[in-house]
Amino acid sequence: MPGIPLVARETSSSSRSTDQMCREDSRVHLSAEEEIAAEESLSIYCKPVELYNILQRRAVRNPSFLQRCLRYKIQAKHKRRIQMTVSISGIVNEDVQTQNHFPLYILLARLVSDVTVAEYSAVYRFRRACILSSFTGIEGSNQSQANFILPEINKLAMEAKSGSLAILLVSFPNVGGCCLWGRIPLESLYLSWEKSPNLSLGQRAGMILPVEMHSCLLKLNCLNEDKCILIQSSSNSLSMNKPLQLQVIISAEEVGAKEKSPYNSYTCSGVSSSSLSHIIRLRAGNVIFNYRYYNNKLQRTEVTEDFSCPFCLVKCASFKGLRHHLPASHDLFNFEFWVTEEYQAVNVSVKTDSWRSEIVADGIDPKQQTFFFCSKQLRRRRPKSLVQNARHVHPVFLESNLPAGGSELLDKAHGGNILRNARIGALECAPHLPSSSNVAGVSGAAGQSYSDSERVQSTSGNNLMPPALLQFAKTRKISMERSDPRNRTLLQKRQFFHSHRAQPMVIDQVLSDRDSEDEVDDDVADFEDRRMLDDFVDVTKDEKQIMHLWNSFVRKQRMLADGHIPWACEAFSKLHGPDLVKTPALIWCWRLFMIKLWNHGLLDARTMNNCNIILEQCQKRDSDPIKS
Amino acid sequence: MAKTPIGLEPVVGSLASSKKREYRVTNRLQEGKRPLYAVVFNFIDSRYFNVFATVGGNRVTVYQCLEGGVIAVLQSYVDEDKDESFYTVSWACNVDGTPFVVAGGINGIIRVIDASNEKIHKSFVGHGDSINEIRTQPLKPSLIVSASKDESVRLWNVHSGICILIFAGAGGHRNEVLSVDFHPSDIHRIASCGMDNTVKIWSMKEFWTYVEKSFTWTDLPSKFPTKYVQFPVFLASVHSNYVDCNRWLGDFILSKSVDNEIVLWEPKMKEQSPGEGTADILQKYPVPECDIWFIKFSCDFHYNAAAIGNREGKIFVWELQSSPPVLIARLSHAQSKSPIRQTAMSFDGSTILSCCEDGTIWRWDAVPTN
Repeated sequence: MPGIPLVARETSSSSRSTDQMCREDSRVHLSAEEEIAAEESLSIYCKPVELYNILQRRAVRNPSFLQRCLRYKIQAKHKRRIQMTVSISGIVNEDVQTQNHFPLYILLARLVSDVTVAEYSAVYRFRRACILSSFTGIEGSNQSQANFILPEINKLAMEAKSGSLAILLVSFPNVGGCCLWGRIPLESLYLSWEKSPNLSLGQRAGMILPVEMHSCLLKLNCLNEDKCILIQSSSNSLSMNKPLQLQVIISAEEVGAKEKSPYNSYTCSGVSSSSLSHIIRLRAGNVIFNYRYYNNKLQRTEVTEDFSCPFCLVKCASFKGLRHHLPASHDLFNFEFWVTEEYQAVNVSVKTDSWRSEIVADGIDPKQQTFFFCSKQLRRRRPKSLVQNARHVHPVFLESNLPAGGSELLDKAHGGNILRNARIGALECAPHLPSSSNVAGVSGAAGQSYSDSERVQSTSGNNLMPPALLQFAKTRKISMERSDPRNRTLLQKRQFFHSHRAQPMVIDQVLSDRDSEDEVDDDVADFEDRRMLDDFVDVTKDEKQIMHLWNSFVRKQRMLADGHIPWACEAFSKLHGPDLVKTPALIWCWRLFMIKLWNHGLLDARTMNNCNIILEQCQKRDSDPIKS
Repeated sequence: MAKTPIGLEPVVGSLASSKKREYRVTNRLQEGKRPLYAVVFNFIDSRYFNVFATVGGNRVTVYQCLEGGVIAVLQSYVDEDKDESFYTVSWACNVDGTPFVVAGGINGIIRVIDASNEKIHKSFVGHGDSINEIRTQPLKPSLIVSASKDESVRLWNVHSGICILIFAGAGGHRNEVLSVDFHPSDIHRIASCGMDNTVKIWSMKEFWTYVEKSFTWTDLPSKFPTKYVQFPVFLASVHSNYVDCNRWLGDFILSKSVDNEIVLWEPKMKEQSPGEGTADILQKYPVPECDIWFIKFSCDFHYNAAAIGNREGKIFVWELQSSPPVLIARLSHAQSKSPIRQTAMSFDGSTILSCCEDGTIWRWDAVPTN
């Protein structure tokens, strides 16, 4: 594991909790075999490093979302800018005018080159205007400086050379008077800054410039976000003796975008102790990793700098970034993050999950193995349990071979889904990861233990994959088949009993699709129907018979709705017709029943007619042999 | 209990012993320390009329009664499960006549032991709770019926190992079923009684085809379409407490509760409306100190006499087919003090066995009268 091993300090003024934090395993005495076993369990942490390196290499060209974010953050931290401060110190030629020129507006504006409006001599576009209300140096004035942030000196070069940027000073007249405007081209500023040694050294570079203010006609255009100022040099300017000259002080300083974090209190200045380890711990960016191994009895401690991950060596911009990166990218382990005033630490322990026994024995081609995939939409939860035995550690890969259609998986709004378990062999067939599916970044909530294996989702249509990946596609089955073996083994593990009869079931009964829970036993139902009817005292035998025949017919045919009745009457007549005609009393009962149904509007006249025709036919057939 | 009109009160037997027959203790066996709950002679096979079986704890033992009061131990079977406690035993046989010993107990599993080759023939699983009684159909000795604490009565076929019918449900017993018996001549009828104070008579007529099918079933036993019979054909509330033993006496029923008597009554069923009917109590046979439940009586082969023990270790032998009831003999022994759970009368009634709570078996033989 990369990182600087932390040696226990002999003398320190730190609290007891620190001792517990960085416990050395030398306190535990182990026998030789135990030592070996302990070392073996520690090596679990080293195993995946190689894998992560492979992933890292691939991610270089196409980094995951989380990586990109962290990278931007790091870059932002290191980005330098120039902060420019503009202020007016005074009027050069004071004798010219006495009007109050304040409030004065200072704009950083860009010349709009495609000006078509003829009457205006210049059109500038700007974003915001800073107001100066007084000369700088006057006490009690809070608005005497205007601050602008400019890109870093090298980036500024191009802008400056184009000549379109300028600093404008604009003054509107209070009473009478006319508008004044002055201009400082950025190019000149840039040239002077480039030459100045102060700026490059990180110091402040200042200059004083005289700016001529000319009178003009101004028009302000505020459309959307871009505000335009249209300047028309007035003819009055010619009449004036001398333009007003303002003394402008411009100072520039290089600033880096500092990230404000609570851990920044560890600046070197606060360190009083002289031991190296103490300093290491205190430096921002240093994170202590405690690896628990050998059934959680032992712990190894290491430190990494610059918030880098110990497994894949990627720099995470902050502790928060590390907190996201570790569970997302290294699903094999459980992480516990803690922060105190003195240090930031992560406890690492290995996850064991009985459902994920993907240990590939030697000689077995992993591509031929069954492949498990689970995706869950759950809120993020911290893994609470520290894992005990870490005998099987499964290489966990980031699944990224999904077409854009897997919208559920890309649903970041739900706090992240969990994607697991691709296969080394399989991934090597796919050198190109489609850019549309940067799903790895979605797995921000992967720090969970898996208990629920029923939610197996289909991991994408194999047919959607490009032909180059066919070999990979073949090894993957759809989720239904994948879950079957597991369910099957569960069903084979114990004796199952029939739900009604409590007789032991054979395995093929268990595995068949028939569910006996709600079956109705026809014989029993018939029997009970008869008994129920027998209980009635005011019904004749024939009526009971018809009722019984109808009830069992209805039950067997699953008649549920009123609309089924016309069909049922016809079918009943056809089915029982030959028997009914033998007993005239039954026919009479049946006809009466049909009339009742018709009374209730359940049977239409046409169908009743049809039924009667059927019965007539039966009768004819029955009586014909007698006649002849 | 129904109010009896004048002139129709049951005849109560007198406890004065008529001494029609005299019995002497000829043997006493101690079979372990655990209570023996059942003792049964083999009436199924005439070759083995003097062979009897007892159950107690997790043991089933087969003995033979020999001349001179000798009891020979023939076989002994012990259940693997030490916690098993057999409550009942019955003799059955295969279609080819091999004798079976069928035992059931607290585990709810019925063990069918082939006594001829001393192996377990079948184990019937299905009852949800302990089994209180097993009886064999004398007309078709492959059929046995079991009464269980799970409030159901099940009909099994020992030959094919199939559970044919389950008598339980909406009209079934509402508490433990303690005893069950087959009708001696009507092959379709059984009577069961239990802790819900009722005696129910069931009919298998509707489903007799299934019973016959069970003999020729070739598929797996678990695939057999076991039917539920939910409604008895007769329901009687003759007793006001647990009814723990009932036997058919022709078309009459002998049943006993915990009120110190055996009652003989006639079930009068209404043909048109099953479920309704009256019980006409004919006679009562008093048995003093017989007020704990799970004491069973037994009869000889021809139902001439019935022997019943009580909780004090005494046996009363009643003549069944005389009215008013006649007490044939009262058997007591100074050392027989523990409750007698069941008695067994031999084929002709000359030997009476009793099994007791303290694990003893007493053998009484009739003194031959000149």
